[in-house]
Amino acid sequence: MSSRYRSDPESLSYEKPSACSNFLHYSWKTARCIFSHVALISMVVSYCYLGAVTFEALEVNHEKEVKKTIRHIRDNTTLFLWNFTQEMDALKEDKFVPVAEKYLKEFENSLLKSMAKDGWDGEEDPNKVQWTMAGALFYSIVVITTIGYGHITPKTNWGKVVTILYAILGIPLMLLCLSNIGDIMATSFRFLYWRVCCYVCQKRPKKRLQRGKSFRASTRNEFKFTRSSSAGPLRRSLRVSGKSTDSGYGVSVSVGPSYHSDTELRYPDEFQKTSSRSASVPTRPNRFSEMSSTSSAKKQPTQQNHFPKQNSITSRKKFSETIPLDPMLISDTPILCNRYVIGKQDVLANTIPGITLRKTEFRNNVPQGRRAVSMPRSSNFLQPPRSYTPDSSTDKEDLDEPSRQHRRRIKPRRSRSPIHNPSPKMMTPLGYGQPNKYLDDPDSDEIDEYSSFYESTGRGKPKPVPIWLCVLLVISYILAGAYLFKSWEGWDYLDSAYFCFITLTTIGFGDLVPAKGVSQDRYYATISIALCSLYLLFGISLLAMSFNLVQEEVISNVKSVAKTLGIIKADSDDDSENE
Amino acid sequence: MDRRKSFRRQSRRYRRPWLKKCKEFIRTFIAFMFSNVGIIGLVVGYTIAGSFIFQFLERGKLIEVHVNAIGNRTLFARKLWNLTMDLNVNVKLREKEYRALMDRELIEFQKIFVNLTRKGFDGSDDIKGEKSWSFAGAFLFSLTVITTIGYGNIWPRTPNGKIVSIVYAIIGMPLFLLYLSNIGDVMARSFKWIYANLCLCRWCPGVAKRRAERRIRRDQQMNEYDSENSSSSTSSAVVKLEINAMGPRASVVSEDLTAYSDESYDVQNVTVPVTVCLMIMVGYICGGAILFCQWEYDSGWTFLDASYFCFISLSTIGFGDFVPGDKIYGQGKIEEILELKFVFCSMYLMLGMALIAMCFNLMQEEVIHKIRSTIRTVKYIFRCR
Repeated sequence: MSSRYRSDPESLSYEKPSACSNFLHYSWKTARCIFSHVALISMVVSYCYLGAVTFEALEVNHEKEVKKTIRHIRDNTTLFLWNFTQEMDALKEDKFVPVAEKYLKEFENSLLKSMAKDGWDGEEDPNKVQWTMAGALFYSIVVITTIGYGHITPKTNWGKVVTILYAILGIPLMLLCLSNIGDIMATSFRFLYWRVCCYVCQKRPKKRLQRGKSFRASTRNEFKFTRSSSAGPLRRSLRVSGKSTDSGYGVSVSVGPSYHSDTELRYPDEFQKTSSRSASVPTRPNRFSEMSSTSSAKKQPTQQNHFPKQNSITSRKKFSETIPLDPMLISDTPILCNRYVIGKQDVLANTIPGITLRKTEFRNNVPQGRRAVSMPRSSNFLQPPRSYTPDSSTDKEDLDEPSRQHRRRIKPRRSRSPIHNPSPKMMTPLGYGQPNKYLDDPDSDEIDEYSSFYESTGRGKPKPVPIWLCVLLVISYILAGAYLFKSWEGWDYLDSAYFCFITLTTIGFGDLVPAKGVSQDRYYATISIALCSLYLLFGISLLAMSFNLVQEEVISNVKSVAKTLGIIKADSDDDSENE
Repeated sequence: MDRRKSFRRQSRRYRRPWLKKCKEFIRTFIAFMFSNVGIIGLVVGYTIAGSFIFQFLERGKLIEVHVNAIGNRTLFARKLWNLTMDLNVNVKLREKEYRALMDRELIEFQKIFVNLTRKGFDGSDDIKGEKSWSFAGAFLFSLTVITTIGYGNIWPRTPNGKIVSIVYAIIGMPLFLLYLSNIGDVMARSFKWIYANLCLCRWCPGVAKRRAERRIRRDQQMNEYDSENSSSSTSSAVVKLEINAMGPRASVVSEDLTAYSDESYDVQNVTVPVTVCLMIMVGYICGGAILFCQWEYDSGWTFLDASYFCFISLSTIGFGDFVPGDKIYGQGKIEEILELKFVFCSMYLMLGMALIAMCFNLMQEEVIHKIRSTIRTVKYIFRCR
């Protein structure tokens, strides 16, 4: 098959500029990588800084005002006491003490009120304010990570309004950034684990190599796999469709990881190959376009659902054939190398048939208006089938009608999938929910075999890192943090561990807050705030990373458990439980 | 565990039909628990269980800080008495001197008091935590833990309570996320359906037709560019199709699927505009704000405060500077009202978070769609990589 591609004039023309285009492709990717990550992080940092400046400006005056009122409260109390003493004809202890206690209680209450309502921090010195630069910075971080300790809160009206607006913009930004960092960390950790740690045990790499070779050697073999896998997608497609819309709330904001998902990454290769092929075949478009256009309208949801599967198939196929790009590099770069990049060659080849087909298609569509309305984004994707059809017709003339029917059915789905992919993946929390293509199908041996092959070759689907390692990592991080805070803040060990957990899960009770304790030294407070923010920023991205790493394995585990229990229908629910 | 159980079940299946029946029942029960209705019950049940556990662990435990605070108050009252007596004996009482002296003592008192508040004294004389760890309070606490809101108006003070809350959070947070995604999904679907049927004016053909025409025109503009991508992908489908021809199973099922999705497709592919989602969110927050504003009138919540509270809660930031039914400064509240408030607040939170999840869902879809089309347009304009 691949030889046929090479003989095509179009594919030749494609191969010539390949070195150049590869270079351009890589440079584009690198630039994008640097740009997106660095820009994102610097955006978050500057956003925090901006927030700090704004909140400081908004709140600091109010806080100073509040500090002045404390004096009045005390004055009132002494006045009450004085009046009371004067009113008493004779000073008696048993009369004086209860009344004094009552006044003290009132005094306490008014102090509490000024603390709770006006945010007084217990210091009367107007130079010692909570809303310093460091404090406000910490506040901004606490807001956009949704931890919300509540140890300092905005007390002015403007402060509250700005907080709301700040959070609306900041929370998605922060989540994006965190999941991005988590993704990078996951990739590097995975790399570290498989390339460095597992390099020691020599057995595995050898085995891996052999398998990979044998596999690549036989293309037939691979086709068998693909075929078998194609049988499976239905159940899965159902699940994916369910998943597409289901997202947790915090979850849904992580748009980032989807861009780096492996499916996306594989596109370039696929496109190069396929484009060359499609171009090579002269077309007989009309007949097929009719059929496809009628069928495609109905099929769209299905197509969409099937998309991940198909991607996986193409990607598999890709590996067996000539690989123009280094897949290892692709999978290791958590970046969208977008498919449009490679689609350049298609322009010449496809424009003409595309247009003609489009016409026929519209002619044939009877309920035009309704359909167009109903599928706003999909209408452009209706034409793809036509360009493909010629190929199938030349190849498979001998096939009977039903089989062609099948082909038609699948065609549109396939063509549409790459363009319409986004929603299922994008909606996911901390990168979870990249549809796991291989692991989740315990009943099909071939797929399992395939997946293991995938793991072993280290391409496309990232190799999983054992769950216990990730859990261990997180636990040790919490314990290390506990030790750190224990020595820094003087809490006991349980309190510190509790604080770390409450912080990293973004619950943030605020009963324990760094630099809130007895010491009021400015320098000390600043250092401790900086320490805490670093700890929590890194920690949350670490959590994101470990989610990223274990999600597929855990999901597949739970899925198999669910299957054994017979709750297959609830599969999609069980996935999300594992986050 | 589960797997082993299942094996056992299979082996016994023929011998004991009642066992099988029982297993069947358990299975359906679990399946139901993870369905949309069951998950709500599961979350509520988990929260109630949590509130009992925390009540058991925390209620009636002596709160050291409160004891200290009360002792401190008595101590200072005696101190004041002694001072007064000293002054009275030595000199005649003069207002200025007396007040200066008192002021000094009060500053001392204030310092100690501030330290106590930092350790968690909240001003109540409730030494044993009976009031704050009432059932409703514990319920709200459990809810704030699993939603990661974490107001922090009450928190576990005993070591056991801390450990249990960690474990509780580890189990509860995924459960709540599950709830959110499930309910958010259902809500998004139904909302989409409502939106498509009501707002898009699907039944009036004129509107639909015009819209369709506009869309077609736009598509044709992009047609040239799109065709590259789509056709290329199509051709890659060829291989797969050949394969599929050999495996007819898949195609048969896909046929079923297409038939099934025919009606649902129209509705579920509609993207709801961002503005509508935003309006829903703003409306929910404002509605909650009005309610809380009236409810907490005697606590001095303004409308802004109430909407601030709603936002901070629903975004799971949870500062805890405003908590419904908090009793620092409205003294003498009736218990029942307090409980009612807690319960209402919990319901508001659970519903609201699902609603916001839904809105995020819809908004994301829309935004992604927009971004995609923008990218496509840009690519189309530049015609290059």
